[in-house]
Parts: sequence; C-alpha cells; structure tokens
Amino acid sequence: MSLIRSILTRTKEDAVRVATSPIESARVAKYTAEGVLSGDIPPREPLKTVGATLGALALVLVVLFPIYWIFTAAISSTGGSIYSSGDFQLFPSNPSMQSFLWVVGDLIVPGYAISLNLPLSDLAVVFTTPRVELLDVADYGVTNPSNFKHFLWNSLTVAIPTVILAMCLVVPAAYALSRREFIFRRKILFGYILLTQVGGGLGIALLIGLYAIYVQFGLNDSKLALAVYYAATAVPFNTWLLKTYMDGIPVSYEEAAVVDGAPPWRVVTEVVLPLSTAGLATVFVFTFLTGWTEFVVAQTLLGTENYTLPVGLYALIDEYTIPWARFSAFALTFATPIMLVYLFAQRYIEGGLSFGGIEG
Amino acid sequence: MNTFSRVARRLETIPYLEKSDLSLLFVLPGLFVFSAFMLFPVLYIVGISFTNAQPANLFAGEGVVAILTFGEASYVGLENYIGVLTDPRFWNSFGVTWLYVATSVVMKLVFSIGMALVVTSDRVRGRRLMRSFIILPMGLPAIFTITVWRGIFSSANFGLANQLLGAFGITTVSWLTERWPAFFAYNVTEAWLAYPFMVIITVSALQDVSEELHEAAKVDGAGHLARFRHVTLPSIKRPVLFATILTSAASFQQFLIPFVFNTGGPARQNELLILYGYQEAFSFSDYGRGAAISLIAVAFIGTFMWINVKRGKLADGVKEA
Repeated sequence: MSLIRSILTRTKEDAVRVATSPIESARVAKYTAEGVLSGDIPPREPLKTVGATLGALALVLVVLFPIYWIFTAAISSTGGSIYSSGDFQLFPSNPSMQSFLWVVGDLIVPGYAISLNLPLSDLAVVFTTPRVELLDVADYGVTNPSNFKHFLWNSLTVAIPTVILAMCLVVPAAYALSRREFIFRRKILFGYILLTQVGGGLGIALLIGLYAIYVQFGLNDSKLALAVYYAATAVPFNTWLLKTYMDGIPVSYEEAAVVDGAPPWRVVTEVVLPLSTAGLATVFVFTFLTGWTEFVVAQTLLGTENYTLPVGLYALIDEYTIPWARFSAFALTFATPIMLVYLFAQRYIEGGLSFGGIEG
Repeated sequence: MNTFSRVARRLETIPYLEKSDLSLLFVLPGLFVFSAFMLFPVLYIVGISFTNAQPANLFAGEGVVAILTFGEASYVGLENYIGVLTDPRFWNSFGVTWLYVATSVVMKLVFSIGMALVVTSDRVRGRRLMRSFIILPMGLPAIFTITVWRGIFSSANFGLANQLLGAFGITTVSWLTERWPAFFAYNVTEAWLAYPFMVIITVSALQDVSEELHEAAKVDGAGHLARFRHVTLPSIKRPVLFATILTSAASFQQFLIPFVFNTGGPARQNELLILYGYQEAFSFSDYGRGAAISLIAVAFIGTFMWINVKRGKLADGVKEA
C-alpha cells in the first residue's frame, strides 16, 4: 500500500505546485515591474519573456488541438449520419451528453427469480431479486445504444488472462536475470533487448504464419488463445523492464535476510517482491494495456461476436450511419482511462522507465 | 524433500551444468512461450512462402499432420519470391516505404527538436507544465489516434483539415482518395503519433547540455544559431540518433496508418511494405505470396536494426548489466 501512498503524496505535491504557481508568478511579475520602473531591468527583457511564453503556449495548444477537437465533436449535438455532422465550432453551441449516453447504453440489472425446492416437500421458495435501474437511456431519447459494454467485456476477458499469464512468466525471469548468474544469461538478455526494439512490426509481419497456425488448430476466434499470444509478445520488454527495476534494489537487504536465516524463497517473497511493488505495478499496467489496446491481431483473429474495444472502434468508423459525434464519444470513452492510467504509470511509479521522468 | 529439490539434485549431477545454472529454469518458461508464439510462426511463414498456400488448400487437411504439411498446399520452390521481385507493384510499395521512412523521419526530427527547444527555453515560463501536457498523446492508444486523424482528413463536413483550408480560402482537398495528399496525411499522422517519444528523449538530452559551454560560446560572441550548431547539437547528437533509429524502424513497419486511412489506397498506390504483404494474404487470399513479401520486409528491417545495433552500440546496456 506504500505504492498508493507514494502516488497520493506525489499527486498532492503536484496539486500544491500548480495551485501556488499563480502566486509565484504574480510575485515574479511584481518584482519585474518594480525593476523596470526603477530602471534596473531593461524593459525589453520582460517583453521577450512574455512573447516567448505566449508563443510556446500557442504551439502547445496547436499540437494538442486534435484532442480538443474530438472532445468538442463528442459533445456537439448529433446529426443523422456521419456525413451530416456540422462544421467545427470552438465552443459547441448547444452541448449535450447524448453521445456518451449512447456509448454507455442502459445500465439495468434485470430482476432474477431464484427458486429453491425445499427438500422432503413439494414446497418451493421463490426469491425475486429487484430490478436495479441505474440508467435507462431511453429516458434521454437515445435508442439503439452502442455495443460498448459487449466490447468492454470481451476486452476484459482478453486482458485479464494476459496479465496473469504474463506476470507468471515475467516475474521469475526478471528476478533470475537480475540476481543470479547462470549459463546463457547474457545471451538471453541481449536477445530480449533486441526484441524490445523490433517487437511491434514483427508481429504484423508474422501474422500470416500465426493466423494459419491458429486456424489449423481451430484457435482463431478464441479469446484465451489471443491472450496467450499477447502474454508471449509482452515477455521481452517487461522482463527487461522489471529486471532493470530490480537491479536498483540494494543487495544488502537480501544479505541481511540471509544472515537472519531466511531460506531463499522467503528472501524473494519477503524482501525482493515487496521492494519491487512499483516495478511490478508498471509491468502490470503495461501488460494489461497490451491486451487492451492491440488492434491488428485481434482484428484478424477474432470474429464479430468477440470483438474487443479497439476492433469495435475501428468497425464503427466504417459504419456511415453512425454520426461523428457518437464515434467521438465512443473513442474518448475508450481512450481517456487508458491515457490517465498510462500517464500515472509513467510519471508516478518511480524508476520503472528510465527515460520516463523529466525533471524540471 | 519435495519433488523440485529432487529434480534439482538430479540436474546438478549433469556435467557442464553448475548448481547456479538452475536459475535458468526461472527464465525458461517465458522464453519457451515467447518462442512458441513468435519463433514457430517465423518457421511456419518461411514454410508457407515456398508453397502455393491459399485458404482453400492450406486449411484443407485435418489434424496435426496437416499443420506440418501445410494442409494440401504444394511446394512451388522460389516461385513466390520470383513473382514478387518481378512485380512492379512490389517495387512501387518498396519505393513508397523508403520514401515514407525518409519524409516522416525528417518531419518527426524537425518537429520534435523544435518543440523540445521551445519547452526547455529559459525564456518560457511554465515549462514544466507545458512539458507534461505535450507528452499527453503518448498515452493514447494508436488505434484511437489514427481513427481520429482519419476523421481530421475526412472529406465529410466535419473534416478538420478541409475546414482549415476553407478558412484560408483554399479549395478542399479529397485527402484520402488522391495519392500524394494521402501520403502527406500519413506523414502528418505519423509525426503526431511519434513526437512525444522523441520530445521526451530530446528534452532529457537538452537538460544535460552544459551551461558553461553555452556561456563560454556567448562570451566568444556566438549567436543563437552558432551556439545551437556548435554547442547544443553535438551534445544531444547521441540520444537523438538513438531515438531516430528506433523511430525510423517504426516508420518502416507502419501498418495501422495506411490500413485505417484507406487500406493503402487509392488503388493500392500507397501500400507500405507490411500492409502490402498483409493485403496479398488476407484480401487476395494468396498466402504464399504474402508470406514472401513479409519475409522480405522482415529481412530489411532486421538488417537495418543489426547494422544500427553494431554501429550505434544500441545494446550497450547489456555489457554493464
């Protein structure tokens, strides 16, 4: 739980920094103004700073504009089809959340009737669970909601086995590569690093072979088989990542445990693993996202019934009856949680990625 | 004494293996699964590339034997490779791919270094905040980014690119149905997709540039441009080169952008190499040919990476590990 606490402290520090920054800049501005008035600072200097800052701000806004654009598209009112969506407005005239309601769809837990036959009698007790109606989109004028929840379920059933399997493969290997010396160690590590760099595209190039094998084994359209494939592709990068993280843990802790008489397996479970929580969390997030965001292989192997979220998103853009606003809402609902999780993993989980932290 | 320890003691008696080598057992499961799902398809695809495999014959047989004999597909020798290498369409795809690597890498480099310079400049206030915002797109799934950019270049009313042109009074362009506009659209999207990674690496390199050198150059009367060329550039060269190699490999293997935008259209003119192989196999049901193309692409990317690893010492980390 120290991990969560450290994330919270970091978030708090950041929040404080952001909140106090206006005061800080006001102080700087006041100081500069006084300096200019008394003639200590030439008036051109602050003007240059303001100009440069505004220029940089404009650049950042232009670069991030597509994200804003897709957001405004999602909250603008919907037309009949993808072609009837209107022109871009910087601030949509009558924003509505209808598109998001269309994405989420009904949230209704239907009532179930459970009947228990009492033994040694003809009697039966029937329980009826209440129908829980959290959200009925028909109330808001949305009919025919999207398949988002169906895709979400498929994505979950792919991503969770991926994570479990990948962790089982990655954690022991990373520990051994980090702490033990054995035959072929260097060669395996070298191979993993090479594969880390070329992994992605290679997968697509080999897709024909993979597809042929899967079809012949009758494994295409199986979510579990897809999860095993994802776990396999995640092995080199994540093993290397976790190994690098474990390298940073001082060996002296383990030595202390050994001196205290701990058997090897207890050294691992009580010293190494607890100390590498942050690394494990990073690997967890990355393997989860492998299964969650992969598109090409899923699109080739899975049938319509088993489409995961990325494939569902792609299928949507070719459907011309879906208004652009709805597509945007779907895309955002899919991408925003991932972006947040990814950025947290990047920024707050220390030491996971060596180039992740940019210091100011 | 459990089974594991007994097996362990038995293994120790094998000559050439030391007790410590037992740790290899921790690595083997991962290595095995990875090989089963990556290396076996490699071997299989090599096999397919020498046959006339099509869905009709490849998936004809039953059972495990059929897998090893490639169904009922028959051996055709080098026919696929000869067919591919004498096909003008392959050479078109090959040329477009290299052109794409060249243009997109230059675009990514200029864009990212420029942006990194801006968000590290001393004159800019709030650099830290800007930096954390600017790398936001890194967390977005590729399929999201690419479908959104397809919307931007769409010819429909909401297409942002055309609205922008309209604002300047220029007539609309049908981005995705003409060859070079589509190619341009690929490049812009690729640049947007890859810039956060490049900016991160460039920014951390820029922060390591020594202040003293800059001061010294200033004292000697060097202008902004001269200082950039003679002080900044040499200090950031190595990390940026590293990022360039990785990102050019990514450009070479680009599949999603052309696939989502217009499946390498119009009329298959913009099919990048990996997409070309994919299309031959899955859209035109010629698995043998698709396999041959994919292998040629893998050979190129493999050679490219190998040369870079050898010359750029990419895997330096291993030696000190």
